Amino acid sequence: MQKTLSGRTSASPVAVPRPSLFNRKTGWVLLFIAGVIWALLQAGLLQHDFVNPGGWERVRRFLAAGLNPDLSPDFLRLTLDVTITTLAFAVCGTFFSLIFGFVAGIFASEVWWQSILPGRVGGRSLYRAPWLAVRSVLAFLRAIHEIIWGLFFISIIGLDPLSAVLAIAIPFGAVTGKVFSEILDEMPRQPYLVLRNSGVPPTLALTYTLVPQAFLDALSYAFYRFECSIRAAAVLGIIGAGGLGHEIFLSLQSLRYEQIWTLFLALFALNGLTDLWSGLLRRRLGAKLSCSGADCVDIDSPMSGTATLQLYRYDRVVRASLIIAALLIPFSFWYIQPNFGKLFSERTLLHLGEVARWAFPPDFSQLPLSEWLELSAVTVAMSLLAIAGAGLLALVLSFPSAHNFLLPGGLLVPSTAGLFHRTLGWAVLLIARSILLVARSIPPPVWALLFIFVLFPGILPGAAALGMYTLGILGRLMAEVVENLDDRPLTALKALGARGGDIFTYGILPLSSPRFLAYGLYRWEEAIRATVVVGLVGAGGLGHLLTEQLSSFDYQGVFTTLIVFVTLIFLVDQISAAVRRTFREN
Amino acid sequence: MFKKLILMSLLLGSLLLAACGDAAPAAEGAAAEPASTEPLVISAIPDQDPEVLQRQFGQLASYLSEQLGVPVEYKPVTDYAASVTAFRVGDLDMVWFGGLTGVQARLQVPEAQALVQRDIDENFHSVFIATKASGIEPFEDIDGLAQLKGHTFTFGSDSSTSGRLMPQYFLSQAGVTLDDFKGEPGFSGSHDATIALVESGSYEAGALNESVWDNRVAAGEVDLDQVQILWRTPPYHDYHWVARPDLAERYGDDFPDKITQAFLSLDPNNPDQKEILDLFGAEKFIATSNDNYAQIEAVGREIGKIN
Repeated sequence: MQKTLSGRTSASPVAVPRPSLFNRKTGWVLLFIAGVIWALLQAGLLQHDFVNPGGWERVRRFLAAGLNPDLSPDFLRLTLDVTITTLAFAVCGTFFSLIFGFVAGIFASEVWWQSILPGRVGGRSLYRAPWLAVRSVLAFLRAIHEIIWGLFFISIIGLDPLSAVLAIAIPFGAVTGKVFSEILDEMPRQPYLVLRNSGVPPTLALTYTLVPQAFLDALSYAFYRFECSIRAAAVLGIIGAGGLGHEIFLSLQSLRYEQIWTLFLALFALNGLTDLWSGLLRRRLGAKLSCSGADCVDIDSPMSGTATLQLYRYDRVVRASLIIAALLIPFSFWYIQPNFGKLFSERTLLHLGEVARWAFPPDFSQLPLSEWLELSAVTVAMSLLAIAGAGLLALVLSFPSAHNFLLPGGLLVPSTAGLFHRTLGWAVLLIARSILLVARSIPPPVWALLFIFVLFPGILPGAAALGMYTLGILGRLMAEVVENLDDRPLTALKALGARGGDIFTYGILPLSSPRFLAYGLYRWEEAIRATVVVGLVGAGGLGHLLTEQLSSFDYQGVFTTLIVFVTLIFLVDQISAAVRRTFREN
Repeated sequence: MFKKLILMSLLLGSLLLAACGDAAPAAEGAAAEPASTEPLVISAIPDQDPEVLQRQFGQLASYLSEQLGVPVEYKPVTDYAASVTAFRVGDLDMVWFGGLTGVQARLQVPEAQALVQRDIDENFHSVFIATKASGIEPFEDIDGLAQLKGHTFTFGSDSSTSGRLMPQYFLSQAGVTLDDFKGEPGFSGSHDATIALVESGSYEAGALNESVWDNRVAAGEVDLDQVQILWRTPPYHDYHWVARPDLAERYGDDFPDKITQAFLSLDPNNPDQKEILDLFGAEKFIATSNDNYAQIEAVGREIGKIN
């Protein structure tokens, strides 16, 4: 292949010089490898054994219990009840995060600020400062994990279900706001400018032009958020929101493996069905973005215009989904009964004042600088190991999980494939997808408590727990990328007689890798954020410090640690933006 | 357009329903019952088999309701910090706290009262355990804890009295700091998990609640070829029921005494009441007071769990 390439270059009229091997891209790759090696050293590589052979007996017992889940009628009734609770929390959380996100999205969009403050001062656009300020507020809100939000709301609102709903709504609303603002900014602006030039005020003009234009992409994203909310609702069970997470933790505390498996199965079913529904709907909406979370990936070709909207109004899946959603929302509010009166009650304000008094001012002198750096290093090392492991495994699992890959008519299947090939294709797809489903359904703290049996304590079990969870989500997102690939160059390659391996290496891989990278970076930020919930397995880091401070009711300490944590996430955000910029240049 | 209208009305309807959802129960409560019988909200995080109590709390709630003459509602919570916080903001009226969490709760709610504890709680112990493979030998004197230096070690839940606070206190008495262990000490999350983690060798040693250890050994659930008990700590006060000060205001001055009486009169010969005692792993309940927890508070301050 090398030969043909060089042959082709010499034949072409303009000779393209071969790019140097030492460019910024390879620089980042080398830096990443160095980072992973550093993280492994932090985790104690070469210093002690990682795997605890004594733990396998426990694992065997745990897995054996999987064949024999607790199916007694009482426990099944409990499981059904808590499954609906988790679903209801997710629905209510998503509902508010979308309202918050859509409003915040408008006020975090560049286009809105540009219209409000069109002037320039000293060669710089006037709007930039307030625009960036709004975006930083959103970034701050989403950098804090749902569990921490949950504990915060319990301390001012109390045990009301509203606390858990808000714990999902605030960080997810902030993410949605960011993504929605980026979708708005990417939309063609002509209709908007027409209205603006005829004197319509910015917010109104936006509502009538860019917002409807962005509706489909936003709807698609909303359903992705719902998937995430289900997982968040499960984790929130730990702090008293009830639901599946709560029951899993109870059973885990007394090591009732049979019960854990029943609850796991419910969790798999809930996650699996939600993901299927959301996946199907988003495929129907055809939005290429399937854009996810903290940093919306470059949008390929956002659909726009009312024509497409018209088209999708008659799609059965879309219509059915909207109706189901419209029924689920009132049902969920009725089921969990959050008390909105508490939001602005006198008692809440009183407690808010108390907590604020205890938390301010942050006190960084509690720990010496070296200690802060050490804890941050542990946290970063854990997240790096998690994302490196998850990324590699996700790469392996994402292709067989994509339905356009090994199934009949798939990119790597010869058109003459027989029954055997077809069965094999389906089997591989199902296995790969099940692995990913299991990996993302089980909350990271539960993974951590399982890994601690087979891995010696330290950074590694924490990283493994985060890695499993990340693998599940990343693998699914990457499989969607493969399914959404522009198949024209690939079928062309196939028609020219290229073999499977060649199609993969020269077609699929280069086409999908930019988005893989974008998703990987996004999940890295998420992994850092989630180190909070695995801090207890002897892994240390900022997550452990935070847990200790929370159980000591050291509000000032919690506030201080959160500031350090958010700063760390901002730094990671900057690095990942720089990496993306480099790889976008050609 | 028509469909849009339907969708919009469904959405609006959902909002209205949501709004009604919280208004309705409050209205009912006000109409049906006088204000004095708003329910007594209780919660508990027991030291063993928490899932049994959390899922069968109906028995305790109905017993108390019968004895006290007010409706009793049980709210399950799994997280110690969350239950202390809920007690502070007034969402939980009376909670079965551990020694440390009880003190933390009382410090955040001045005038809150420790009412009753189990017979075993005035004389509670932790046990230190280790794998046989670690080479750590059982000992009689607190100084033996120095053997743990250089080994891996796990506590239970981070705010557990018997699984964390007192073990850490006795360790420091023997001159062992958390930095003396190999790696960072772990927090297994529960007493059962501590046994399992030490048994499997993930950690070489650990500390937990004596009664969980004794129960698991008696039930034959611990592999004594793998793990052995090193030492039982001196006694201290642990679990107890703590009540908010406003209960007297709400239900009458004698209400705290009525609660105490209700627990003291739990009769092991009555099958229903025996079941409640069993849920708590108690023979009987005895009265207690805030003063009994002065040592726990001092240790909590020393270790930094109380600020």
